[in-house]
Amino acid sequence: MYDKSVPFEAEIKWMKKETRDTATYAFRIRDSVVRKAYRFEPGQFNMIYVPGIGESAISISSGTMDHDLLHTVRVAGDVTTAVSRMRPGGVVGLRGPFGKGWPLEESESRDLMIIAGGVGIAPLRSVMRHIYLRKKKCPGRDIIIYGSKTPKDVIYRNEFPRYRDVFQVFLTVDKADPEEHWKWDVGLVTHTLDKVSFDPLGTTVFLCGPEIMMQAAIKKLVKKGMPGEKIFLSMERNMNCGTGICGHCFFANKFVCKDGAVFRYTDVEEFLATSEA
Amino acid sequence: MIDAIIKKDHLNIIFDRLKGRFRVIGPKVEDGTIVLSEIEFSDIPTGYRDCQERGVYRLEEGVTHEVFSFSVGPQSFKTFLSPSVQEVFSFEKLKKGIVTEEIIRKDKPLAFVGVRACDLAALKLLDKVFLEGPVVDKQYRDRRKNIFVVAVNCIYPGGNCFCDSMGTGPEVSEGFDIVLTELAEHFLVETGSDEGEKIFTEFGSVGADDSCHREKDALIWRCRELMGKSMKTGDLPDVIYRNMGHPRWQEIAEKDLECGNCTMVCPTCFCNSAYDTVPVSAISGNALEFSGVRIRKWDSCFSHNFSRVHGGNFRPSRRARYRHWMTHKLAYWIDQFGSPGCVGCGRCITWCPVGIDITRELQELRRVR
Repeated sequence: MYDKSVPFEAEIKWMKKETRDTATYAFRIRDSVVRKAYRFEPGQFNMIYVPGIGESAISISSGTMDHDLLHTVRVAGDVTTAVSRMRPGGVVGLRGPFGKGWPLEESESRDLMIIAGGVGIAPLRSVMRHIYLRKKKCPGRDIIIYGSKTPKDVIYRNEFPRYRDVFQVFLTVDKADPEEHWKWDVGLVTHTLDKVSFDPLGTTVFLCGPEIMMQAAIKKLVKKGMPGEKIFLSMERNMNCGTGICGHCFFANKFVCKDGAVFRYTDVEEFLATSEA
Repeated sequence: MIDAIIKKDHLNIIFDRLKGRFRVIGPKVEDGTIVLSEIEFSDIPTGYRDCQERGVYRLEEGVTHEVFSFSVGPQSFKTFLSPSVQEVFSFEKLKKGIVTEEIIRKDKPLAFVGVRACDLAALKLLDKVFLEGPVVDKQYRDRRKNIFVVAVNCIYPGGNCFCDSMGTGPEVSEGFDIVLTELAEHFLVETGSDEGEKIFTEFGSVGADDSCHREKDALIWRCRELMGKSMKTGDLPDVIYRNMGHPRWQEIAEKDLECGNCTMVCPTCFCNSAYDTVPVSAISGNALEFSGVRIRKWDSCFSHNFSRVHGGNFRPSRRARYRHWMTHKLAYWIDQFGSPGCVGCGRCITWCPVGIDITRELQELRRVR
């Protein structure tokens, strides 16, 4: 095993600009021992470290069977800005993986509905890749609903045609400029959810996005008869250590870094309803 | 197990035996306060009592003839096991990569003298945080595993103590190598480990008889009786969860200065933030190569930035930040680690500049409005 309290080197092999503020980076872990030992579950995150600046928790976006380790990073603060200025060959530090991932076993025997908002698609791409590469299930039962601000903000846009082989994909944007070509929905994720037909008792939901969007989606799902135990969500907090000793990522009684970031809805329901928990 | 009495002026023999092998940390008087630092035997205060009230601390000299008649000061032993600033790793940023090296310290082992029951309970709680997580805090582990503990049974409570309610004191029951009880004429010495026995062997001591233990029990009983504060704990954590919207939180927020004192003095508060420290040359200009150290500093959930992320803050209001701290101590901690994160030492009450009192606030939350 390797140490998770000190970063190891990871080199940017290639990068792909997704939107005006978001790009996907493929990393190669330099140390061969760490590279071989490194295992993750979809839904886990790494701490990306830029010396002299700091660390930022970024979820892993590649599938477990993919060759490259991918992170999709939206420019938000100092660390992500520094990463956005890097080019292939650039080196960052990584620590991880941390946290508990998505319960993929749920998708084995049940239909899966993925609901994402904005950059919340990043930890779910890992699940999408996992299911896409298996392709064992009868295609068309699993669903992706993905909401973005505008058509220009759709991350992984060119990948969705492929996912359509396996998933029913529903894209929506808050606002579409009439001059832009946009043939999908305009409106909130919850509106799109109304149009989707699914079996509320045979489906499991994986959800990641702004908290307000997740709450609205959960409310709708529960109203449609879905049991709360079958809804899983990935929470965002300001993870600082990743190891449960710094206290920054507390969401009420949970350490998001080690108890989450993926939670079963019924385990956090009480505190989601409490403001500023 | 050794169970003996020693003359009061023979206490230095235990001290001297520790001195060679350990860095001895214990109480001494500094700036009118009982502080903890590396001490000589002569530093151990004699004859002091402290007056502690809400937001008040005064040390009085010459009030007693006893050695350990004072109660806890602002510091606790977390200061030495998880210091307020510690180096995590050093780094070198090179043009083509990053070299990091974990900082491993080989410090002289620590002996803690004069540890009270509440502070021992607090160490047990910190162990859960730093040693039982998915990733072990190695610096804490390395310091912790070699400590020697000379505990003391409290014979007087401090003005804000409520360890009796929290079930953590005043009697020391576990986690010590030696425990002292200051009787009228002697120290009763009991050992709790092989290490403790080793230190105590070939010591000119007399076995303790029943009357010594009766005296010890009476002193501890008196300490319980004199304890002015209490906290009802039977309805924790639910009483807080039921009252997350209670108007009292807002009333506290109106007094609260968010100075963070309570979190600094709390023996179980562990929150911290990590930063890179770099030379000025790395900041000015476009230095391609530089080196530095990543450090970890105590932080407080009362600071505005503590739960800030890009574009928002998960606890923007002072009300929510106080509620988070108190709820963590008395409720979340129970869910996370199986017991409250409060040991009843009363430090947060004494050192709060506006005298916010966790025992009173919990009582207020129980009042239906």
